[in-house]
Amino acid sequence: MATTKFDIENENQWCPGCGNFSILQAMKKAFIAKALEPKDLFIVSGIGQAGKTPHFMACNMLHGLHGRALPLATGAKIANHRLNILVNSGDGDCYGEGGNHFLAAIRRNIDITLLVHNNRVYGLTKGQASPTTALGRQTEMQNKGTVSSPFNPIATALVTGAGFVAKGFSGNIEQLSGLIVEAMNHKGFSMIDIDQPCVSFNKINTHLWYKERVFDLKETGHDPADYEKALKVAHMGEDKIPTGVIYKAHTLAFHERFDVLKKKPLFDYNFDKTRMDEILTRA
Amino acid sequence: MAKDITILIAGSAGQGIQTIGALLARICHNAGLFIFSTDEFESRIRGGHSFHQLRISTQALGAPSRHIDILVAINEREYEVHKDRLKKNGIVLINTDKEQSADSRVFHLPFDAAAKESGGVIASNTVAAGAILAIIGAEFKEFEAVLKDNFKGKSEDIFKLNLTAAQKGYDMGKAVDFPKYFDFDGKSHHHVVMSGAKAAALGALAADCRFFSFYPMSPGTGIITNVVKYADTLPIVIEQAEDELAAINMAMGASFAGVRSLTSTSGGGFCLMTEGIGLAAMTETPVVIINAQRPGPATGLATRTAQPDLLFTIHSSQDEFPRFVFAPGTVLETFNSVKKAFYLSEKYQVPAIVLMDQFLADSARTESEPFQTGFEHESFLDLETSMSQNKASQNQVSQDQIYLRYKQTDTGISPRRVPCQSEGLVRATGNEHSEEGLSTEDPENRTAMVEKRFKKLPLMKDEIKMPSIFCDGSAFYLTGWGSAKGSIMEACLHLREQGIEVGWIIFEDIWPMDSHKLTKLLENKKLIMVEANVTCQMGNLIRQMTGIDYMSSILKYDGRPIYPEYIIEKVKQIMGK
Repeated sequence: MATTKFDIENENQWCPGCGNFSILQAMKKAFIAKALEPKDLFIVSGIGQAGKTPHFMACNMLHGLHGRALPLATGAKIANHRLNILVNSGDGDCYGEGGNHFLAAIRRNIDITLLVHNNRVYGLTKGQASPTTALGRQTEMQNKGTVSSPFNPIATALVTGAGFVAKGFSGNIEQLSGLIVEAMNHKGFSMIDIDQPCVSFNKINTHLWYKERVFDLKETGHDPADYEKALKVAHMGEDKIPTGVIYKAHTLAFHERFDVLKKKPLFDYNFDKTRMDEILTRA
Repeated sequence: MAKDITILIAGSAGQGIQTIGALLARICHNAGLFIFSTDEFESRIRGGHSFHQLRISTQALGAPSRHIDILVAINEREYEVHKDRLKKNGIVLINTDKEQSADSRVFHLPFDAAAKESGGVIASNTVAAGAILAIIGAEFKEFEAVLKDNFKGKSEDIFKLNLTAAQKGYDMGKAVDFPKYFDFDGKSHHHVVMSGAKAAALGALAADCRFFSFYPMSPGTGIITNVVKYADTLPIVIEQAEDELAAINMAMGASFAGVRSLTSTSGGGFCLMTEGIGLAAMTETPVVIINAQRPGPATGLATRTAQPDLLFTIHSSQDEFPRFVFAPGTVLETFNSVKKAFYLSEKYQVPAIVLMDQFLADSARTESEPFQTGFEHESFLDLETSMSQNKASQNQVSQDQIYLRYKQTDTGISPRRVPCQSEGLVRATGNEHSEEGLSTEDPENRTAMVEKRFKKLPLMKDEIKMPSIFCDGSAFYLTGWGSAKGSIMEACLHLREQGIEVGWIIFEDIWPMDSHKLTKLLENKKLIMVEANVTCQMGNLIRQMTGIDYMSSILKYDGRPIYPEYIIEKVKQIMGK
């Protein structure tokens, strides 16, 4: 890929062949398509290989704690809703450690875009099962196979009331960058669960494995406004993996629900000393 | 000679005993009297034993009193629970229609029956308030005026019901033989009656805090509750988080984006927040946290009070980093400590924690000093000014487009910017990082960055107010911190009246502690620690920091406030008197 203004001279720490490289490339492509500058972007991330993403591109960044990227991003968006905020998280970070925050962010409909790098395994801690690992899958730690059913992020997002739910694949940068643009344009909470291989610890769900299964929902005439159909898509199983926008509906975003924020961002207000003095006098 | 009485109104949760207390407090306040009220209740919504205790005096009060002048039992059984605390010449009012008691101190007054006659048993607490007001010497017209104000905007029928009930109660009280206590013709003054929780809320607002995140937990929630009514007129957002982990991370996210933020919690919730405190320290993001302590471990006593989190708070979160910890002892100190926490947290880009407790948060008292928007530190800037300065400094470096979030400086404080406001990118991480804010495991960088964060420490120590000393040269000192202040002071003054050579040493700013200055201050002083915990945490901290061992300790860990009488009794025991 040609150099972009989002490139940065910082040694990339991902394994060669990692799906994260393609996700990073799709992000940059999307930002260019949206005519954004690095200074216009604020990327918040959690812990794991996905959490490192903003380190490898030019942007404002807050790389927080495991599972807590969404609350950090929520606070920042409440403080200044003009900011373009994206969250890079992983299946362990978002659906495991941060599961409660995932549900709450959807319910708040906070206007940020969540990209979940879903490789169905814990990479940074070397190969333990993640919330999206298939039932019975053996790992070094779960040596007799996992005993928990996998988490279904798309179905969960849908029943929790998410207004933009999409599925991407790291092997299709063109489609993924389009999805990121669409997600960022959506006013309200938007999420893309991105299937990606882990070349080091997931020998089953490989690039090829996905390649043989993914299809583009657009080609099937799927209507993202149809909630019932979206739920069916969310429960399609593993033989055929749908990608694209699964569901889209507009409801008021978090900051549109507050009178004080309708006027302007909290960040833009001035301290009203006269008003405060009055409050203290009458307290 | 000061006049000073304590009224205890006991009943079950849901019987409106706090309403009675609030009515009495307001009428006393209007007459220029000083009050100190406390609430003790169980962790339940209905039933159980609760009480509201109101101390009224012609002089300023800093503590509640253990001894009761008027015990009002809304349920007959409450008399048995509290009678041991009744003074010799105290009286008891029991809500019952039974015949009068043989005990001349006990009055059976039919509050419920009188309320029913007035039109509804719901007004029973108004009857009780009327009776008490008559007994302590208030005029009925004063009660009527307050009722009128209270029921403003409600239906005329409800007001009339309560007014009739009030009159019936007042007439009942008139018949009770009790020396007229207070003059109610005093002028109202400009003092305020305020709880610690409200003072903390106002302190945050006065510091231009605009974002409040919390997860409900007693008694920490009361602070945020007190912010709610200002949300329509001030630019603030209050958000109930999904848990305390989210609460602190949301506060930090908002702060990172340039808006001052507060989160408030209690022991167990503070436990969950500790990982976030570490992130604030590592990313050098200002954040203010209030921990309204309660007894633990685990759920402990959910609605009670204690001071068990001092050492936990100064060490909370893994590894080492500088932080501020304050422990205000009065309502006004709470207001000022919270403001100061915002100022210093922002100046040094470190977390600041204000330690309160249930007793300080929930008790209300007359405060005679004014609450001010301004700050003793001249350099305390409102958000607008600090941000415009910030923007100006950003413009200077915008040509090269490189901004070092963690630039090494003499003070360890790097110029702070918020994201997306200039060309220079703001990059921060909870991993160890370079000056640019990119993670690196380089050992030299690690050492330099640890030292950068700790360069702030000596400067932070200079911001800390040394403990206040009363009667320097005393034989010994009652020594404590936080909410124990008022009781220590009252006990000390009382003991001195009895000829005992005692002073006090009270800590309000706790951490970081300047061991050199503190050693000089405490050298050759005999300390009797007074704390609401079992291991004498401040005593041990003083020993650790100065090598000075405390002489003795008065510790209380029953979940109830430390009363002045308790300290007096224990001091006499220690002295063998």
